[in-house]
Amino acid sequence: MTAGNVATLWHTGAVARPTIIHVDMDAFYAAVEVLDDPSLAGRPLIVGGTGARGVVAACSYEARVYGIRSAMPTARARSLCPHATFLPGRFDRYREVSEGLHAILSDVTPLVEGIALDEAFLDVRGAEALFGPAPSIAADLRARITAELGLSSSVGVAPSKFLAKLASEAAKPVVSDGGTRPGAGVVVIEEGQELAFLQPLPIEALWGVGPATAARLRRLGLSTVGSLAAVPLATLEGAVGRSHGRHLHRLAHAIDDRPVEPDRTVKSVGHEETYATDRFDPAVLHTEVLRMSDAVAARLRDAGVAGRTVTVKVRYGDFRTITRSRTGPDDLDASRDVARAASALLDAVDVSPGVRLLGVSVSALRPVGAPSAEQLTLRLDAPAERPEAERSAGWAAAADAVDEVRRRFGARSVGSAALIGPGGLRVKRQGDTQWGPAAPGADGGPGSGGRRRERDALP
Amino acid sequence: MKLRCERDVLVDALGTAGRAVAGRSGALPVLSGVRLEVTGDHLTVTGTDLDLTITVSSMVNGSVDGVVVAPGRLVTDIVRALEPGAVTLETGDSESGDEDLRITAGRSAFTVRTHPAGDFPRLASPSGDAVTLPAEGLSEALRQVVRAASGEDSRPILTGVLMAAEAGGLRLVATDSYRLAVRDLPGAGAVLSEGQKVLVPSRALGELQRLLGSAAGGDVELRLGQHDATFGTGSVALTSRLIEGEFPNYRQLIPASYPNRLVVGREALLDAVRRVKLLARDATTPVRIALRPDGIELTVITTDWGTATEDVDAKYEGAEMTVAFNPAYLIDGVEAVPTDEVVLDTLDALKPATLRPTDSDDYLYLLMPVRVS
Repeated sequence: MTAGNVATLWHTGAVARPTIIHVDMDAFYAAVEVLDDPSLAGRPLIVGGTGARGVVAACSYEARVYGIRSAMPTARARSLCPHATFLPGRFDRYREVSEGLHAILSDVTPLVEGIALDEAFLDVRGAEALFGPAPSIAADLRARITAELGLSSSVGVAPSKFLAKLASEAAKPVVSDGGTRPGAGVVVIEEGQELAFLQPLPIEALWGVGPATAARLRRLGLSTVGSLAAVPLATLEGAVGRSHGRHLHRLAHAIDDRPVEPDRTVKSVGHEETYATDRFDPAVLHTEVLRMSDAVAARLRDAGVAGRTVTVKVRYGDFRTITRSRTGPDDLDASRDVARAASALLDAVDVSPGVRLLGVSVSALRPVGAPSAEQLTLRLDAPAERPEAERSAGWAAAADAVDEVRRRFGARSVGSAALIGPGGLRVKRQGDTQWGPAAPGADGGPGSGGRRRERDALP
Repeated sequence: MKLRCERDVLVDALGTAGRAVAGRSGALPVLSGVRLEVTGDHLTVTGTDLDLTITVSSMVNGSVDGVVVAPGRLVTDIVRALEPGAVTLETGDSESGDEDLRITAGRSAFTVRTHPAGDFPRLASPSGDAVTLPAEGLSEALRQVVRAASGEDSRPILTGVLMAAEAGGLRLVATDSYRLAVRDLPGAGAVLSEGQKVLVPSRALGELQRLLGSAAGGDVELRLGQHDATFGTGSVALTSRLIEGEFPNYRQLIPASYPNRLVVGREALLDAVRRVKLLARDATTPVRIALRPDGIELTVITTDWGTATEDVDAKYEGAEMTVAFNPAYLIDGVEAVPTDEVVLDTLDALKPATLRPTDSDDYLYLLMPVRVS
């Protein structure tokens, strides 16, 4: 078989009915803020880190008119649109709304793959028998999301995940200098139209083409997906490497056979935090590690999983980023065990250049209660130490007690003594300063005042 | 330098010395080379990574004395690929003025660039008195002990094998903190003065074990220096840096007595563990051993793959219980026992168990269980 035959087969392989739906909420975090505070409607609104080093997590379409985009430094957004409203973000609230979204999607089919709080893939091949063809399911979903959640979304329908995502992108509201006009809402890539849709797009539309790959391909004169598709596979492999080249070749021919995988299992649980100023003091960083380990461990226990690999991530002031990880014999889900491993990893990192961001995560997860096995170790050192078994059992019980107290009295009701600061117990919660710290005295932030204070309060 | 010899002589010498050649990237470039020196009809081939040095001496037909350091992997690959028969190695000046090594055999000819011979480290061997150990006994002891040493560099002490004078004999000890192997070589006490002990990297002893495995009988000459040790076996000398530091106090780990004793056929147990281990698809899945008066039952349970069980005849005296082990560690210990039957002594499911031969106290393999729930 020649290479040409393979390409032809792939073409035919790509032709399939559009039964994959991609639902993507429009400016999700910003839209939730508007939902909760209608006075913000129609105004430029930015959710993200509000401090000097924050980044934009989401922005309303009114803000996008000023050229503001996700992942842009907040400081830049401020200079582009000084009169915009900046909010620090409320992760718990977004998750709550997200659960509503997923409940709606799950009504259609169990084959829902959540990608993020605000986006999911559905495979509706089976559901079509009940609810009609995929394009009408897509339109119904979008109407239900608007009616029940009060939020707007964009929906793509296509024969593959990759194309469905591009389709939902094409359905988005359009931002231009003059303002924002509504998008199509639902875009369907019909059977046979895949290549016509795909090939005029810029190469950056392909999943896996970042700035570096794009620059390399443009040097070869390849700027559209169509031009990429016309290049022999071997040329692509030579330009970007064998497996990456093969991957791009397939995508450019609209071939993507990744299935929709429901209930994507969590691969890791982690927290990271960007600091307002670089942290140099190892003692301070160790306290931060303890705080994050505590939060990570609580989420592990909440999810009923434990992991063997602990990773510490350090980003220096110059953005150089390193990670250090350690895989032990035991599944960890107690704050103390995670903190001990993370602290040891931090010890091996030179923090003297100053730390801008610190993160702790646990991976190699397994459900707790699944047959577990812990390789016991010989007590080679310190004969005075208590037996390993007794020690672990003690801390597992303590962790359970902490969880129970927090369930009843709130996240900041109990924690390690090392975490007590002037403003009380500083317990890390998911979403806190994920996009950079709040500006001093700004909304949110533990113990600070502000408009959102009442929503930040403990239940 | 010029010599002529049979291809297989060179293949052996290069292959053996090459095992010490630095594999790590980042080492000095010259350490990726092997040093060849011809004096009369003697060829010595040396490879080193500064921690471990292996020198092989061979008789060849030498015509010009001299030294050359040639890329180890490349020259070994070339010589191994040549037609059987005579090979000639000869140095010559290249056009750029450097020295080249010319390798010819039959109708094949290779010219290989070399490293400056002066860059190759001069490695002093310990000059102390040599003591002699029977190769066979040492080989068996290494096979039984080296496997328990740690392969991880996080605790360098545990990557070593302790060699210590013990009750007029030589004792070898290794542990990776999950298991501990102890072997006594009675009568080999002259090696070390009473109370003396050295910590030899397990990698060096693993290489020594390979060398001894291929040479039946004979003696091993051991010379100890302040910072290194040399093992000589006829034509090969293996010198290793010693590990500095205090080996853990292993004696306190060995229980004085055990209430429960299992005696089981070595091969039957090994076969059964290897079979049920097929279900243990990751390194952390243990094999559970249910200990009963009429025999034992081995079980491997996994959520992802299923279960395996096997009954094995055995004699057991003690409390009925189930104890679980890492199957690979268990196999390592059972294999190391030289008798037809092995003794497994246990305290309880969470305390160290001991494997030993039925007929002597020369060997002991302490193994920590896996706690299962």
